Amino acid sequence: ILDDPDLKDIDPTVLKHCHAAAATCILEAGKQKADISAISTCLEDCKLDKERIEQFCTEYQKNKDALEILLGSIGRSPLHITDVSWRLEYQIKSNQLHKTYQPSYLVTLNVENSGSGSHPDVSFSCTMEQLQDLVGKLKDAAKSLERATQM
Amino acid sequence: KLNVGVDAIQHGVEGLTYLLTESSKLMISEIDFQDSIHVLGFSDELNKLLLQLYLDNRKEIRSILAELAPKLPSYHSLEWRLDVQLASRSLRQQIKPAVTIKLHLNQNEEQTAQVLQTDPSTLLHLIQQLEQALGEMKTNHCRRIVRNMK
Repeated sequence: ILDDPDLKDIDPTVLKHCHAAAATCILEAGKQKADISAISTCLEDCKLDKERIEQFCTEYQKNKDALEILLGSIGRSPLHITDVSWRLEYQIKSNQLHKTYQPSYLVTLNVENSGSGSHPDVSFSCTMEQLQDLVGKLKDAAKSLERATQM
Repeated sequence: KLNVGVDAIQHGVEGLTYLLTESSKLMISEIDFQDSIHVLGFSDELNKLLLQLYLDNRKEIRSILAELAPKLPSYHSLEWRLDVQLASRSLRQQIKPAVTIKLHLNQNEEQTAQVLQTDPSTLLHLIQQLEQALGEMKTNHCRRIVRNMK
């Protein structure tokens, strides 16, 4: 904002204050999920004229959804699973044991940290029975979710 | 008690151990085992005893040897919980469903538990992907390989 040619005639301190005020107002409105009438009333109390209030509200309405998504994503949460990859292998032998002949799965869960971005993925091996157990439990969770949304 | 020198006993035990682990590792058949120990020139009775010893302990020895192979953490179990986030410091009046999962893994005799979270659509995606993985073993390709590699 400080580099904008249209604003170069204004005292930078005033500009900063305006920016901070506008940002605070927008963030509070977003946080409280305020509707347009609440925002207008608030701005009226601040003695803004009708035209400015209308402009502000229109712009706010345009960006409201993006703002809510952004605010909603701030905050701590456990590692978030984003994707899964798997590998099926058939073990034949190891140097300690020959003729093993067992299928085995290698599953990797791609995870993301809420703030700092990357985190090493969670990998583990499992047998077919264990994978069936895992999938069974996940399906239970999904069924519960479905029931909860129907309540 | 056996009236034999310590060295002889040690060698005996080591020899026996080697015989049993190698046989178990290679999973040799009864006939091959009998042929192998025949060259040692023991009595028939002793050979029979050794064969029985091999057959009785083979499974257990193999499962112990299996522990020595390189491995990754393995799956133990999974617990899940449904949560709905209603508000946070930065945003009020939310309805954000999430599935919180506690994944129990075994690594080198230790159990670790990791808490993870996912959203409903990713959960469905995970289920679909892993079901595909399970289905792979039943395909013709895999069946053919399993059949031909016995």
